[in-house]
Amino acid sequence: MLINKKNKLEELKKKIDKIESSKDKTVIRKKESGAGFGFKISTEIIAALAVGVGIGLIVDNYLNTKPFGLIIFFILGAFAGFLNIYRVMRRIEKQ
Amino acid sequence: MASKDGEKHSPLEQFEIIPMTHNKIGGYDISFTNSSLSMVITVAVITLFLTLTVNPRSIVPNRLQLVSELMYNFIAQLLSDTVGNNGKKYFPFVFSLFMFVLIGNMVGMVPYQFTFTSHIIVTFALASVVFIGVTILGFLNHGIKFFTFFYIPGVPFYMHPLLIPIEVISYLSRPISLSVRLFANMLAGHTLLKVFAGFVVAMPFFTGVLPLVFIVALTGLEILIAFLQAYVFAILTCLYINDAYHLH
Repeated sequence: MLINKKNKLEELKKKIDKIESSKDKTVIRKKESGAGFGFKISTEIIAALAVGVGIGLIVDNYLNTKPFGLIIFFILGAFAGFLNIYRVMRRIEKQ
Repeated sequence: MASKDGEKHSPLEQFEIIPMTHNKIGGYDISFTNSSLSMVITVAVITLFLTLTVNPRSIVPNRLQLVSELMYNFIAQLLSDTVGNNGKKYFPFVFSLFMFVLIGNMVGMVPYQFTFTSHIIVTFALASVVFIGVTILGFLNHGIKFFTFFYIPGVPFYMHPLLIPIEVISYLSRPISLSVRLFANMLAGHTLLKVFAGFVVAMPFFTGVLPLVFIVALTGLEILIAFLQAYVFAILTCLYINDAYHLH
């Protein structure tokens, strides 16, 4: 009975060690890609803002609403950038 | 003369486009440039490598054949993981895209070679092909229902006038973020290498060894980034193809 319990405990220990070691690896991997991660995020914001500003300028050009199209679409573009980041984060968290 | 010589060592000089022939058709400059040459080299390397290494078709592969098969499996696995069974059709497209970017980056790592992925027009053209192709695919699969992609269910109705433009901008920003990421990574990496190479000459006595050591480490990092960016390009293409099938 006692030996059986010891075996079980040892098995459990092995399992815990396995999980712990796999945890360590993921942490290291995350640290390595820190700069790349920041880069990803920043390009998402810049791209969305660029599209927003572009649409705003085009709208102003055609509808003669000089500053308002740019202002509105700049803000919408910023929101779209945050949405992009939210999607990227959700994808990373899934993995 | 001296100032010209100084200009020659600018870290940005490596990105200069030099036409090799001068052709003009209908007002468009279609000269064969160093960028085109490096693309031709890339395609030649890919074609020769893939055809020659899998030519023996041995069941027990040698090392080179194994490399080709690994690349094939890598993309096939990526597609089946992200898109599923529908993805098999797009394997040739994604694989060519991945190989073109990967080998293009690697060819750019060879000294004196031009890196065509460090030009935004090249990466933007590639991203536009993906973007337009995926949009057409979405319309083919869902017809006019594809527009429901921009409609988020379960949101109060008064939020939709705000959310739909945001979704549309987010969708339109895809090709830009896809191209800027690859372009900026390659541009920054290669500029950094050249800047540190400048330090090797500029620093006094033997201290120039320090940046030299750093360049060796940076070159390794650049090769990693070259692979990583090709992988990111491929995986995002897969995700976009997946979006064209499953709208939400």
